[in-house]
Amino acid sequence: MAARRTQKPARNRATREFVSEVEEILERMRADLSDLADARAGGRLDPELANRLFRSAHSLKGIAGMFGFEGVSDLAHHMEDILDGLRMGRLPPGAPALALLDEVVEVVAGLLGSGEGELAAGALAQVQALIERIVASLASEAPPAADDDLDGIDASILRALTEYEEHRLRESLRAGRAIHLVEASFEILSFEEGLSELTGSVRALGEVLSTLPAPGDSPDSQIRFSLLVATECDAAELGSRIDLPNAMVRAMRASRATPTQPGSAAPAASAPTELLRDASPGESPRADGGSEIESLKSISETVRVDIRKLDELMNLVGELVIQRGAIGSLADRLLADPATARAGLELSKLHKSLERRLTDLQAGVLEVRMVPLRQVFEKLSRVVRRLRRDLGKDVRLDIRGGDTELDKLIVEQLADPLMHVVRNAFDHAIEPAADRASAGKPAEGSIRLEALQRGNHVVIEVADDGRGIDPEAVRQRAHTLGLIEQDAVLSRKEVLDLIFAPGLSTTTEVTETSGRGVGMDVVRENVTALGGIVHVDSQPGRGTTVVFTLPITLAIIRALTVGVADQRFAIPLTTVLETMLVDPVAIQRSEGREFLTLRGEPLPLRRLHAEFGLPSPPAGARVAVVVVGLGDLRLGLVVDHLEGQQDAVIKPIQGPVRSVRGIAGATELGDLGTVLVLDVASLVEDAAKRREAA
Amino acid sequence: MSIEIGALGPGPFEELARSAALHGQEPIESTSERELLVLWLDDDPYALPVERVREIVRWRPITPVPRVPAAVRGVLSLRGEIVQVIDLRLRLGLAPSLAEGRRRRIVVLHGDDGQMTGLLVDRVSEVLRLRDEELRAPTGRDAGTVVALAPQGDRFVSVFDVDRVLDLGVGA
Repeated sequence: MAARRTQKPARNRATREFVSEVEEILERMRADLSDLADARAGGRLDPELANRLFRSAHSLKGIAGMFGFEGVSDLAHHMEDILDGLRMGRLPPGAPALALLDEVVEVVAGLLGSGEGELAAGALAQVQALIERIVASLASEAPPAADDDLDGIDASILRALTEYEEHRLRESLRAGRAIHLVEASFEILSFEEGLSELTGSVRALGEVLSTLPAPGDSPDSQIRFSLLVATECDAAELGSRIDLPNAMVRAMRASRATPTQPGSAAPAASAPTELLRDASPGESPRADGGSEIESLKSISETVRVDIRKLDELMNLVGELVIQRGAIGSLADRLLADPATARAGLELSKLHKSLERRLTDLQAGVLEVRMVPLRQVFEKLSRVVRRLRRDLGKDVRLDIRGGDTELDKLIVEQLADPLMHVVRNAFDHAIEPAADRASAGKPAEGSIRLEALQRGNHVVIEVADDGRGIDPEAVRQRAHTLGLIEQDAVLSRKEVLDLIFAPGLSTTTEVTETSGRGVGMDVVRENVTALGGIVHVDSQPGRGTTVVFTLPITLAIIRALTVGVADQRFAIPLTTVLETMLVDPVAIQRSEGREFLTLRGEPLPLRRLHAEFGLPSPPAGARVAVVVVGLGDLRLGLVVDHLEGQQDAVIKPIQGPVRSVRGIAGATELGDLGTVLVLDVASLVEDAAKRREAA
Repeated sequence: MSIEIGALGPGPFEELARSAALHGQEPIESTSERELLVLWLDDDPYALPVERVREIVRWRPITPVPRVPAAVRGVLSLRGEIVQVIDLRLRLGLAPSLAEGRRRRIVVLHGDDGQMTGLLVDRVSEVLRLRDEELRAPTGRDAGTVVALAPQGDRFVSVFDVDRVLDLGVGA
């Protein structure tokens, strides 16, 4: 967080910008590569995607050269070669080429991560070896003979085509598509808009092979273009569907397929691509394919911002919020005294309006920090693809809810735990094909990754259809490790929850019998550090679901302040379900543990006095109970009294003691001074653990 | 040579802190020369390298924190950052100070990892300048937190290794 200083030598500003720009390019390339791999059905290549990748590689080469990162620039150059080979049809769009591209992207990413971006000798050797493999694979592929006839295409047009455009023309002819020339005139002053409108509507029906300025007897104020188009439509259909008054369609080559035949008219190959679009970030209109003029304009209207700057803004907003509180209480004091009530009223009005605007400001800054989970999901999808390739295991990863947004910091911290769980599912949970067949399951294993927002939290589920967890094996193991008694009475859920206990899941024994692998305790620890909670559910033989519940943001929270002995604590309101005043006689005990009956259900209680070693209230005094919940765990925190709600900026506590269980940080609450913020997730978990241990 | 507090005029501690901070930023002219901030527990002088001192603040209410070693008195907010405060008396195993007197000060230190920590001391007096060869080996008290003795007039000041003082032997 912002309050924590970093000791790392600060990279200079230029390098930081370079790195962040390259990261952005790499992110886009990864997404495109993933789409390319998915859309590659039938050995065909989506030319749009290949082009976009080529352009990305080209930008990468450019900026890496500019900043003097020779290794990166070299790699990008060779990546261009591969992509050029692909889009020119010199290189088959098969898995080897794509794997090579994946590898280059990861190597570049690795170089960026390795400190200053300077190439160490080892990294340089790695880059060289990679480049040699690229060169070798390019050399081994002879270009296919260009024996298609180009009859019917005007020679003047053919002369104007680039090598790539000619290649696309031949490809289209080979695929039996019709070739038309769409001509239109535009006002010079506004031709960019007109042309891009035309290009857009043609693209919906086919591929624009080339955009050429057309000679013609147009008035001086006009400019004429012709678009060479490959499509399944015939000329008349194309003309009527473009529906632009000034556009004229001229047929050059008819389609080989009969256009009247049902089903063949629509480009069938686009269906799977559409399905996959959902997971791709390239939702922006594809205005980047066509003319040179368009490419001069900046396509993206987004701004990259250093997350630390957002942290600073957030801290400032936090301080404003605190001062707003002080103004509020001053207004109240003035109002209480008849002599100053008038001024108090005015101040109170100002305070109200300040409050409204601050709330908007706060929401605005929070929103800027939010990023879609898609970024992480795509990383996971790449890992699964690589595993599938490397291990030859047939597993499908279904992704849903990639648009769900979370605080950037949480998304970053979430990548590793999610990766861990997905890998476990892949490695251990999904059975080998033979086992799946004998269990009557489809040969292809399935992992579902789904995110959805629920109030102030985001729920992420990782579900597999693998062998599931055997509760008896977990029980036995936990008993052997001394975590539970042999005859402990535990619900199924409680038993499953034991896989998060340290030590338990690190054994191969459980890995093999239960289908759940190593380090689940680390996963829980990481998620808890984010104020979240993780649970598991499993049906033996049917599969396992791991559920993460996380707060949407870590920054500003609404907090309930409570008094315990002579101290004060803040509880994040997102975790508070309800509060109540309780007569001590209503508190029951079972095996020494206190609980309360709440709407017919027992609610376990935990006294903060005992939890934090503070003096207890006098016997018989009324107490307040704050019911907190995370996931489906409930706990009643017993405090002396409730104070009120405040906006709070949680800050980490600096100093020699790195973490205090049960305390998430501290916040400054104006008049109230510095107040500790409870870490409800860990308190709830500790209480649950105590129950298990009982 | 030493800088006497009295010479600094009004607000001696703010001035002292500022001068300490300034000194900390100055390039060290000679590697063998060092500056030490002198502080006191009862009638015993101790010292810290000035470059580790970020600022010195007056005693103020500290929010206690549960589940921490006794030497950690709690946390306070310092211009928006929340900083743990260690009571130096308790850290060294001395009896707690009875008075939260007006002279008690919190010396805010830079940790070795960029984190700040407050050190609660009885009082702060001056900055001591001396050369390395004037330092003497410690007599071995205070559980290894003192690494040298520095002469001041006719007595010696115990010089701390700040990192050892801050190492409470709990979760790093």
